[in-house]
Amino acid sequence: MTGTVRSPCLAESINTALADLLDQDPRLVLIGEDIGRLGGVFRVTRGLRERFGADRVRDALLAESTIVGQAVGMAMSGLVPVCEIQFDGFTYPAVNQLVTQAARVGGRWNGRISPSLVVRIPTAGGFRGVEHHNDSNEALFARVPGISVACPSTGEDADQILRYAVALGSPVVVYEPIRLYWRRSSPPRSAEPARSPTAARVVRRGTDLTVATYGAITDEVLEAAHDLAPDVDVEVVDLRWVAPLDMDTVLESVGRTGRLLVVHEATKDVGIGAEIAASVAEYGHDALRGPVRRLAPDRRAYPPGDFEKDYMIGVREIRDEVLVMTK
Amino acid sequence: MAVKSLSENETAPDDDTRRTLLRHMLVARGVDEEARRLQKQGVLDLWPSCEGHEAAQVGSALAAGPAATVVPSYREHAVALLRGVTPEELLAQWTGRTFCGWDPHRVRFFPYTMVLAAQTLHAVGYAIGRRMQGLEDFVVVYVGDGATSEGDMSEAMNLAAVESASVLFVVQNNGWAISKPAEEQMRTSVAERARGFGIASAAVPGRDPETVFAACSRAAAHIRGERAPFLVEIRVGRINGHTTADAQEVYRSSDDIARTKAADPVTGYADRLRGQGLVDAAWFAAVETEVREIRERLTKEYA
Ligand SMILES: Cc1ncc(C[n+]2csc(CCOP(=O)(O)OP(=O)(O)O)c2C)c(N)n1
Ligand SMILES: [Mg+2]
Repeated sequence: MTGTVRSPCLAESINTALADLLDQDPRLVLIGEDIGRLGGVFRVTRGLRERFGADRVRDALLAESTIVGQAVGMAMSGLVPVCEIQFDGFTYPAVNQLVTQAARVGGRWNGRISPSLVVRIPTAGGFRGVEHHNDSNEALFARVPGISVACPSTGEDADQILRYAVALGSPVVVYEPIRLYWRRSSPPRSAEPARSPTAARVVRRGTDLTVATYGAITDEVLEAAHDLAPDVDVEVVDLRWVAPLDMDTVLESVGRTGRLLVVHEATKDVGIGAEIAASVAEYGHDALRGPVRRLAPDRRAYPPGDFEKDYMIGVREIRDEVLVMTK
Repeated sequence: MAVKSLSENETAPDDDTRRTLLRHMLVARGVDEEARRLQKQGVLDLWPSCEGHEAAQVGSALAAGPAATVVPSYREHAVALLRGVTPEELLAQWTGRTFCGWDPHRVRFFPYTMVLAAQTLHAVGYAIGRRMQGLEDFVVVYVGDGATSEGDMSEAMNLAAVESASVLFVVQNNGWAISKPAEEQMRTSVAERARGFGIASAAVPGRDPETVFAACSRAAAHIRGERAPFLVEIRVGRINGHTTADAQEVYRSSDDIARTKAADPVTGYADRLRGQGLVDAAWFAAVETEVREIRERLTKEYA
């Protein structure tokens, strides 16, 4: 163990970024269930309604299609809506508006409008949440043309991603790991900045094996990597975005290490890991010293709290998998 | 409670407006006939005809006025033409060249939306967004009877009511959603349903453009005066199949089809204005020339 470092937590960074953006751009509006008076069920938008008014920090009707559907109309009118879905598992009523409308209006208008629209979604498990409060459905949107999907694992990254997203001119879904919202200490990371706002980030340099990962589980991957050093020197790539995927950074890393493990919290089948493995098979095969492997939960629903430890990928599984691959 | 109401007279169209209504109806009919002809030739991939809807569309669009932004469904060809979409632009998407042939900003007529009722939420959001920016916020959104069963329509009505958005919902109830009769789609009228959401509403027959014009003028006055939404349900007849892709004879009685054809709003209104001496043979000849030129242009562009 190399210990942990203290940093501003994810919720605070997002709150500060949103306040800054509201301050700088009068076109920005926030829409979400309970985000105003309450400050959101995770208090991510705490204090913003008091500061910017109920018109710009809008307590939405309790209807997810309404949230995203009206945001599409607002974006067409020249505003920049930043929506919040209360929990990942409640995204589904909004999927139609996101997939058939938000993702397509720019093209349907032949590029005459390029609406910026952000949907923030608290995601992932590990906190004994009740049914539907622990989902990870980023892969669903990752394969929708026209939608960008970000999965920040630090407050610093969330800040950079949000600032980029509100100016992109097409919809961005941002997955915010619930268990990181108020976590103050996390494994140390390399200070190396990402090459661009949409680039992956090499958060630990290593020589023996690359782990590509994203979201909350990045912390577990880093912990496993630190545990394994110096016997096995693991490089960790935090993808930060799953659409578009920064395959350049992954392929360069695999070019150095010759081995790739993909770790994610969403279920394995037809997932982000499959896409990365396929791309490496296509474009990075020569560099490989062994088969690409994936570590992710089996294809089943997120279980009741008593069983979540068994469902989730933990530090030990990651360590074991790396050891098998580098034996 | 004091109910503000404008009398019929205040909203009845004057003679110039009546001629304008008829001219737009005749042009829309000509374009529709040409589009159906071109579809039969394989030039258009598909065409959802608006024959039978002309009085509802022209009456509502003219009453809404040029400042309103129109958010259509996919059958509002007469509205499109009235707003200045050219016939060539209107047909472009049905020939597979684009998803939208016109500049929506120029004509304040948004692209057609194929996913039923999705546009109703955009319309309300657009009105809210415009109001927040201190801009003209009057929006007209069109939707069909079948599409009102979609959740988005109920959500949009509720949102418009709660936000007191300046939205005129125009429901063209043509009695059918492809093959499903409206009586099997709902137990109440859409106008009645709107009231349940707290939206003032009216139900009117859609054969006479003047009735539609008057009802929609009152609705527009309500929206501008109260800064609150309104819903007008217009009963129309669908003369042709749902689109060129279905044979309505399969699910619709020949009597019903014949009755609908006999109640054609275009010929009905033409006969009436002719009978009243508002338009003469020379007037019709001029419109016919205009329509012939449009049809020739369409053939040249696409055939
Ligand atoms: C969400 C959705 N479901 C199904 C369809 C296929 N569809 C297209 S039009 C239509 C019927 C619509 O009827 P109505 O709303 O009454 O409008 P009309 O066509 O009669 O003008 C159906 C089922 C669709 N376009 N979108
Ligand atoms: Mg219908």
